[in-house]
Amino acid sequence: MSRTTNPPALRLAGVTKSFGPIEVLQKLDLDIVPGERHAVIGPNGAGKSTLFNLISGLFAPSSGDIALNGRSIAGLSPHRINRAGLARSFQITNIFHRLSVFENVRLGVLARHGVRYGLFRPVGRMRRVNEETAEVLARVGLTPRADTLAGDLTYSEQRALEIGMTLTTGADVILLDEPTAGMSREETAQAAELIRSVTAGKTLLMVEHDMSVVFSLCDRVSVLVYGSILATDTPAGISANRAVQEAYLGEETA
Amino acid sequence: MGTVRTLSLLAALLALLIAVPPFLDLSWQNALVNVLIASLFALAFNLLAGQAGLLSFGHAAYFGVGAFAALHLMIAVEDGLAFPTPLLPLAGAAAGFLAGLVAGYFATMRSGVYFALVTLAIAELLHSLAPHLAGTFGGEAGISSMRMPWGGIVFGSMLEVYYLTLGWVVLCGLGLWAYTRTPFGRLTLALRDNEQRVRFLGYDAHRSKVVVFAISAMASGVAGSLLAISNETANYSLFATDVSAQVVLQTFVGGSTVFFGPVIGAAIFTLFSFLVSDLTRSWLFYQGLIFVLVMLYAPTGIGGILYGLVRNRRQIDWSRLAWPALQSVVGGLLVAGGVVFLTESAAVLFGQDYAARRQGAGALPAYDLFGVSWNPVGVLTWLVPAILLLGGVALLVTGRRQIDGVKGRRDAPTAEPAPLGGAS
Repeated sequence: MSRTTNPPALRLAGVTKSFGPIEVLQKLDLDIVPGERHAVIGPNGAGKSTLFNLISGLFAPSSGDIALNGRSIAGLSPHRINRAGLARSFQITNIFHRLSVFENVRLGVLARHGVRYGLFRPVGRMRRVNEETAEVLARVGLTPRADTLAGDLTYSEQRALEIGMTLTTGADVILLDEPTAGMSREETAQAAELIRSVTAGKTLLMVEHDMSVVFSLCDRVSVLVYGSILATDTPAGISANRAVQEAYLGEETA
Repeated sequence: MGTVRTLSLLAALLALLIAVPPFLDLSWQNALVNVLIASLFALAFNLLAGQAGLLSFGHAAYFGVGAFAALHLMIAVEDGLAFPTPLLPLAGAAAGFLAGLVAGYFATMRSGVYFALVTLAIAELLHSLAPHLAGTFGGEAGISSMRMPWGGIVFGSMLEVYYLTLGWVVLCGLGLWAYTRTPFGRLTLALRDNEQRVRFLGYDAHRSKVVVFAISAMASGVAGSLLAISNETANYSLFATDVSAQVVLQTFVGGSTVFFGPVIGAAIFTLFSFLVSDLTRSWLFYQGLIFVLVMLYAPTGIGGILYGLVRNRRQIDWSRLAWPALQSVVGGLLVAGGVVFLTESAAVLFGQDYAARRQGAGALPAYDLFGVSWNPVGVLTWLVPAILLLGGVALLVTGRRQIDGVKGRRDAPTAEPAPLGGAS
């Protein structure tokens, strides 16, 4: 996937992460093409969460480089990576429980507008910010719940809010960590539709266990096993790949 | 509109605070000055503790720094510097802000217990350094100055000091309230809820916490400077742990989840010490007891309870609640009476005076309490508190049961969502 004009939206080159003597990721290479929807699948403990934590800045890689749109972001703090154009959601719902749904989203919108230390104007009078917040809420279907405390939402609503907050900061590369985890079949289908619509025109990298979501949503799939990428291919190619079947997909049917 | 009602209530309170003091005697005026100062200090502290979720155990540091800064400016004014006396608290604000930036930079690198310990250590550091730094803090004696007249106002009477204090406290209180409605004020609540997510939304969480810390320290510095202006003196004891502890107790008894809750706690504790400290040496014990009881039975504080009552006023069956409520109040008073009787008896019986009398008499002599003479081994002496306590507890328990019956199970007293969190 080499391109001469555009750098990859996200490029991982020789990324290694060790915690003490344990190497969780080993010399991992991965290119994410701008605009594609890319899934990372793999058995538990393969290093998917670590991969996301490295890309989003929670940890720094032990060696190797991570580049966002051609610029190195390895080792930067989360807020710098976010401002560089990458936003992530969390596997375990990570919202502001004691703030209203509206406020949860608005904090992301404010960050995008660069209002980080706004002390001299009531936030209620910031019309554009509030309008954009309402738009995001409408897109993730939470308009009727705007005034509810986020902690009082149902689980799938919280997951939708999680995605909404990830969108607000205006990043063009979105990382979603198991967005449908713990959802029922219908909820999963709705969530997949939501993800499809809100990530249109953006680059998506997601960790997902639900194969129906992966196969219906994603352009390409990477299989992560024991800290290295076993294969990267189209969904059809992955399901036909023998090595993958043995290492991963086979386990599910066996 | 809740806001309109709140504002009109505050306006009425302000009118009282303006109109009443001229008719009070000096000691009451002084007590009200202390109430106002404690209120501002508690509001400033609660910005950090209640809103940002950062529990500081060393806020005396910024209160004290503000006091000393104001006194140094007052000394300079005495020496001829042309600076308007009413603006002296600006020195406290500036000093508190700077101290807050430096201390906050280090303290907010950690959170939870570690944050609390760092703030405690910083205040202790100042407390132990200050007596040795004669130039800045005046050694153990501290530094003193005089309020100079300005613009035709002499600033000689307590009433003038009172109005100056009132002006600054209202100004800063409204400022802190307006703060909660700004984007950064909302971010402050988000930091309390989930600092990690704040970071992933693109905010620099550490820097934001430093700013919150510095603003809280700035308002604390203003409060400290008002005390310096009122007392015209300050010494290193302002940095002591009990100053830091007082503001914690006041804030949590008043209610840290409601914006004006800390003011309630500050007013109660300050007036309590003013009224009770002359009557008994056990007043600190009573104060501690009040704190423990509030934390055990009303963890949202007095403000939290009032807020809950006001918010649910339409759902509450007031007529059915009145009788058990009265019963609980009477029960509480009886228990309080029994506790006071026992405490004061213990204070007498284990005191030095009594020990001397006992040695002289060779037996257990009678002692005077509440204008009556009590025999330490008499049945009545112990029957009175026993009846008070048992009767009070019985009333409280039955009252509580009835109240729970009226309220029903549907709104069990779980943590009420904070109004600061709910407003958009």
